[in-house]
Amino acid sequence: MAPPALKRRKLNHSSNGDDKRLAQSPLVDTPGTSDADNVPSNASNADMGSVATSSQADEDEDMDEDDAYNPDEEEGFAEEEDGLEDEEQSESSPEKVEKAKPSNGHQHIQGNNGFQGGGYTGEVYKSNLFKLQVDELLQRVRPKHGKKEAYAEDALRTLKAIIERIPDREPQAITNAERSLIKSSKIAIPFSHPRPPKDAQYKLQYSKPASVNAVGSYPLKIATRTGEELCIDLAVIMPSAIFQEKDYLNHRYLHKRAYYLACIAAGLKDDKSHRFKLSFDYLNGNHLLPVVLVRGNGDGIKGDSSASQFQIRIMPAISDGVFRADKLLPVKNCVRLKPGDDSASVSEASPTPYYNASVRNDCLVTSYLKLLHGASGHCEAFRDACILGRIWLRQRGLSSDVSGGGFGNVEWAAMVALLLQGSGKEGMPIVSTGYSSYQLFKATLQYLASKDLSKHPQSFGVKAVILPTTDGTPVFFDGPRGVNILYKMTPWSYGLLRQEARSSIAMLNENIFDQFVPTFILRADPPLYRYDLLARIPVSSLGLPSSGEDTDEELDRICRKVYSCLSHGLTDRVSIISIKRPEDHAWDLGSRRSSQVRDGYLLIGFLVDPANANRAVDHGPPAASKKEAALYRQFWGDKAELRRFKDGSILESVVWSNKDSPLSVFEQIVQHVMTRHLGLSVAENITFIGDSFDHMLPGGSHGVQPGVGPFQPTMSAFRTLETDMRALENLPLSLRHVQAADPQLRYASIDVPLLSSGRPMSQPADVVIQFEGSARWPDDLIAIQRTKIAFLLKLGELLEEAVDGLSARVGLESESSKILNQSFLDVVYPTGAAFRIRIHHDREQTLIERRLKDKSLDGAAREEAAVTLAAYKRDFLRSSTHTQTIQNLSTRFPMFSPSIRLVKKWFASHLLATHLSPELIELLVARAFLQPYPWQAPSSPTTGFLRTLLFLSRWDWRNEPLIVDLSGEMKSEEFSAITTRFEAWRKIDPVLNRVVLFVASSEDPEGTTWTDNAHPPLVVATRMTALAKAASQSVKQQDVDLEPESLFVSPLTDYDFVLRLSPQFTKDGQRRKDKGGPRAQYKNLQLQAASVEERELVGYQPVTLFLAELRDVYGHAITFFYDENAGDVVAGLWNPGTARRAWKVKLDYSTMPVSKKTKTASEEEDSVDVEINKEGVLSEIARLGGDLVRKIEVNRR
Amino acid sequence: MPSIPLKTGPYTILPLRVPAIAAYPHETSHYLYVRQHAPRMEDADTPRSLFVANLPIDATEGSLRKLFGEQLGGAKVESVEFDGLRSKKGGSIPLLDNVASGTVVVLKPGRKRKRNAEDVPQELELPGIWDQEVLKSGSSAVVIFVDRASAESALKHCKKAAKTQKGVQWISEAGLGERRYLTHHTLRYPPKPTLQSRVNNYMAAYHALETARSRAQAKQRNLPDEEGFVTVTRGGRVGPARLEETQAVAEKLKERQKNAVKDDFYRFQTREKRKEREAELRKGFEKDRRRVEEMRRRRGAVRPE
Repeated sequence: MAPPALKRRKLNHSSNGDDKRLAQSPLVDTPGTSDADNVPSNASNADMGSVATSSQADEDEDMDEDDAYNPDEEEGFAEEEDGLEDEEQSESSPEKVEKAKPSNGHQHIQGNNGFQGGGYTGEVYKSNLFKLQVDELLQRVRPKHGKKEAYAEDALRTLKAIIERIPDREPQAITNAERSLIKSSKIAIPFSHPRPPKDAQYKLQYSKPASVNAVGSYPLKIATRTGEELCIDLAVIMPSAIFQEKDYLNHRYLHKRAYYLACIAAGLKDDKSHRFKLSFDYLNGNHLLPVVLVRGNGDGIKGDSSASQFQIRIMPAISDGVFRADKLLPVKNCVRLKPGDDSASVSEASPTPYYNASVRNDCLVTSYLKLLHGASGHCEAFRDACILGRIWLRQRGLSSDVSGGGFGNVEWAAMVALLLQGSGKEGMPIVSTGYSSYQLFKATLQYLASKDLSKHPQSFGVKAVILPTTDGTPVFFDGPRGVNILYKMTPWSYGLLRQEARSSIAMLNENIFDQFVPTFILRADPPLYRYDLLARIPVSSLGLPSSGEDTDEELDRICRKVYSCLSHGLTDRVSIISIKRPEDHAWDLGSRRSSQVRDGYLLIGFLVDPANANRAVDHGPPAASKKEAALYRQFWGDKAELRRFKDGSILESVVWSNKDSPLSVFEQIVQHVMTRHLGLSVAENITFIGDSFDHMLPGGSHGVQPGVGPFQPTMSAFRTLETDMRALENLPLSLRHVQAADPQLRYASIDVPLLSSGRPMSQPADVVIQFEGSARWPDDLIAIQRTKIAFLLKLGELLEEAVDGLSARVGLESESSKILNQSFLDVVYPTGAAFRIRIHHDREQTLIERRLKDKSLDGAAREEAAVTLAAYKRDFLRSSTHTQTIQNLSTRFPMFSPSIRLVKKWFASHLLATHLSPELIELLVARAFLQPYPWQAPSSPTTGFLRTLLFLSRWDWRNEPLIVDLSGEMKSEEFSAITTRFEAWRKIDPVLNRVVLFVASSEDPEGTTWTDNAHPPLVVATRMTALAKAASQSVKQQDVDLEPESLFVSPLTDYDFVLRLSPQFTKDGQRRKDKGGPRAQYKNLQLQAASVEERELVGYQPVTLFLAELRDVYGHAITFFYDENAGDVVAGLWNPGTARRAWKVKLDYSTMPVSKKTKTASEEEDSVDVEINKEGVLSEIARLGGDLVRKIEVNRR
Repeated sequence: MPSIPLKTGPYTILPLRVPAIAAYPHETSHYLYVRQHAPRMEDADTPRSLFVANLPIDATEGSLRKLFGEQLGGAKVESVEFDGLRSKKGGSIPLLDNVASGTVVVLKPGRKRKRNAEDVPQELELPGIWDQEVLKSGSSAVVIFVDRASAESALKHCKKAAKTQKGVQWISEAGLGERRYLTHHTLRYPPKPTLQSRVNNYMAAYHALETARSRAQAKQRNLPDEEGFVTVTRGGRVGPARLEETQAVAEKLKERQKNAVKDDFYRFQTREKRKEREAELRKGFEKDRRRVEEMRRRRGAVRPE
């Protein structure tokens, strides 16, 4: 891959330039930055240095010129050089040209790959397409130096100056200190819980900070521009003098820090030279570490308010070395139970890793800055890898914040930096500095996905550290700095992180499809898309202490309990349980923190394993092992019972049934566990979200998990048909295949076909049979069709003889053509199962193709041949393979079938379903299951449905084909062949008159089988996208409050006219009639009487016939909409092409002549216009429909 | 009713009044375009025919007969030829679909006609499945009157009716509505004996024709024409190719390929191959780049949501 190789070299080059610039950057405007922390000068000055270089760096506009200047180069190049001096550019250009020769591009890459150690050996980039898009993305989000940044840096400088001016405060006792701050500046000190005791011995004090520095991602240039506010961390290093050696114990440090922070806040508040907005917040939601949040006042510079949107967090910190690092290791206890007990009863007390790490983190602020800066110095791709990581995390809703999971940008960057140094096997780094940014990114994900850090803690840089493996918190121990980077994570957020990493790795390993969008663009975190099932518990029902500030700890404890109970109770029914706490908000300087948390909800998300989710019986330990059995009983309470199983074992077990509960088994378990372990009030207030879509399905009442189950009777009826046919002895030829080709036989019809002898299936299921080859078939298309009739007559006769009570009739179809398939055999079983059998004869294809090539035929005949060929392929070749595939997928993914039915119902409710072939809809849903990224395959109908809609809303079908890899073994050649075909279609038919949607699959590379001949037409496809967009929008906005029904309605006023159908001819009307009919009195009589009549009517749907005729008669002039499933209206839209035009004798719609308004003398004779005769047409429709149509309503004239 | 023009080009515009019905209780108008029939190829019927365009979808021979017979001067209609009936009914059926097979059927015309005369064509055709056809919107028809005078008088009356601007009442003959679909549903399933006999008749005719054709072909194969050439026709092979023979040929071909110079025998071949591969990569890269540019043009800049 030559081009990426070029890229690598240029990267080298440009980053050298970058370094140079950093080194040369004039050290201006850094008065207070002392070298107290032996940070290399360029690192500590990075923040202010960038201020100075800002004027040079702001030149992304130059880029385009660069492109023009060297058009052979890829564009990524120009930005790499962004910010270089001009002379450097001109200097480098000849060199560039030289390197552009692709002489040894290939070897270069291989060489590059050759030395890579560790578990990862992939490509430098996934593919050209991926790389180019990544480049563009990086260019877009990479920090730039614009107005916003200049403004924020200005603010930084102001803040720094103010902070350095704040006067010292004498040491004071706690009560005094608190009182004086409230009095003087109305500042409440943000003490963490527990508050310092009144009688505390230590004093609080403020003195001038040792240094004030910007830290974090901004000075490292790994912040991103993604629409949000610019966020900068300003570390205020507190002087070591105000702390004592043992202050790390019992929150003493934290209280002193809180006071220090309050003093800064007071200083800022009292200073009138600025107009910032100030508030307190927690550092990443860590309740031990408050910070001051400074926001821009929003009025901006020169009226540009967006420029002043920034957020600066002022975080007090201390230099490393104030406290001994070994005292704050994760295994130590630093919060003694008895206050004041500083002595060494350490061994008994349980460790306090969270507290320790929080304190430790404050010591390491500059040391991390150093680490990251070092990493970006010796690994050129480090920064970009961090940016990619940031975007990846953001799109998945993961952040450093405790409520966001505790793994965010900071942790990502530190992890990458450590992996670059750190110890894989034998101390070797896990990733190499030679990696590209993408490789670094992927390798880090790989690391996250493959290592279970909660079971096997990892330490970096040191050996033989005792690491705790207690409560499921993952441990990634940074040895040199002595802190666990992942200390904020919970077992569930870690589970989620790994899950995301795993599915991203799976996605990046897939080579056929471009995975850029799901990796970096799509937001994966809306809970309705992400989780199969959601449960919501109001915090108020948790019984938190009404007052006091330990709410947070209590909530924490409850979350952990909920998690452990649920994961214990649900076992392998779920793969992920995730708990989201309500988020904290910043609070006012003058007040104590209010707990808005109380009004919020705990949102518990489940990723379900559909195979086990609703299992009825859980086996526990055998009764013999007393201890376990007791524990089991303890957990399950009276639900646990002793049972003897078939294999003779006697086990404790729990049995569920959904007979007498409206809830599914899964929900019952959640409820039971909650009741038992968290109290009734919790259990009563749980609401389940996400399965509410299930009962939109006909026949799917609450609690009944839909799947392929309801279709089993139909499927076995089909198998009976096959055996019956194969058992026939007197058939002229033996059967080769009997194949199903109908949605009802692939679990995909909206209605589950109900079998009962009194009412046969209303629509017979299509079946295709093929006989063994024979030379006695005529070699002529029409004669073949006649022979088929003869075969069907014989087959019907034999079947009627062989099976008691079966009726078989041969029917005719396709009256308009002689060479299309002309006949079928309707077979109705006494059980009510009905099938429509057609014969497939493979000689037809050759004959039609020959006809197609025959130059002596006229255009119309060749056109007919083309139509026939397409129909042949669709009905005899694709339909049966498609059915087979969908059947297989339905067994592979239990929720595939209900998802299809939901999506079909959606299309039907919006009156679009008759415009799309069922196969097309099935393929759309299959995509959500087979290319589920960024998620995994849906495990509930809701996710299947919503994600399909999401795809529809994003699908740009004008410019992109839909390709579904049903086999999972598609080759990239096939893929590009399909793309080529798609492009060809768009060239032939640029206005989309014939093929609007292009949907290909591994089974059907042609891509137009289901969509040719404007099926759907452009107007329908556009409407489909608009509706899907609206639906996705409401999912996004209303989130978990979404009403499922609201997605299934659209107003009829959107249409030009509406035909109201007479109720006795609609499905709904007939259902009602059946229920309350007078015949219901004598059931057995009715059965016998009904049978003959009903059998004759199998497949009779007057409205469908009416609609087909309307479409045929009015062609393109009117687009009709109808819901075959449950509709009682046919809606119509006039084609805008039927508007007024010059008169012509043959138009394909009924016209009305109109005099031209402006008559010129010369053309008085001919000046007649026409337009469609709307009134006349509606009257015609009314006549055609006769008693079918009750009323015609006209919305627009 | 808005004022509408009387004429457009050679066509007289004849307004029809359509009575209101329950589902659509408005009286509406429909417009016919009528003129003297003037096809490119005139035949004997042309002078006594009118060409009527923009027919209502429920127009039938009967309804047009009534229209002219009762409301437009009483001209007698002999027959109506619709253009654009949905199913291609009527006319002679192509008995054999052998045009595609590329052979010329050599049958004495007299004999063919005789055969057609023997078998009534209706018996060969599959039974119709609609009792009443509906026209496509905007269809036209040629109305043939009994004589030239009737045609002319009909046209005159049309012009007169157009002038009054009042329009002529349209009376639909067709039995439409649900009943028609039910009939269609019944007609779809013809009785077995009917179907069986139609198929048998067709197949008998087909076989007879097929035999005749192959006989004719066989004859042609042996018969040199006046210049002494024998026409090559289908079916002249002695027998199918033997399996062993084909296998032997395949073997031979394989052998030859094996001994041929390999792709990487000469240095220039490797070099060229490499160059080719590079060019391909380059091309692929260019293509991808264009695609990305295209995408950017379409969706604007990449931006994480």
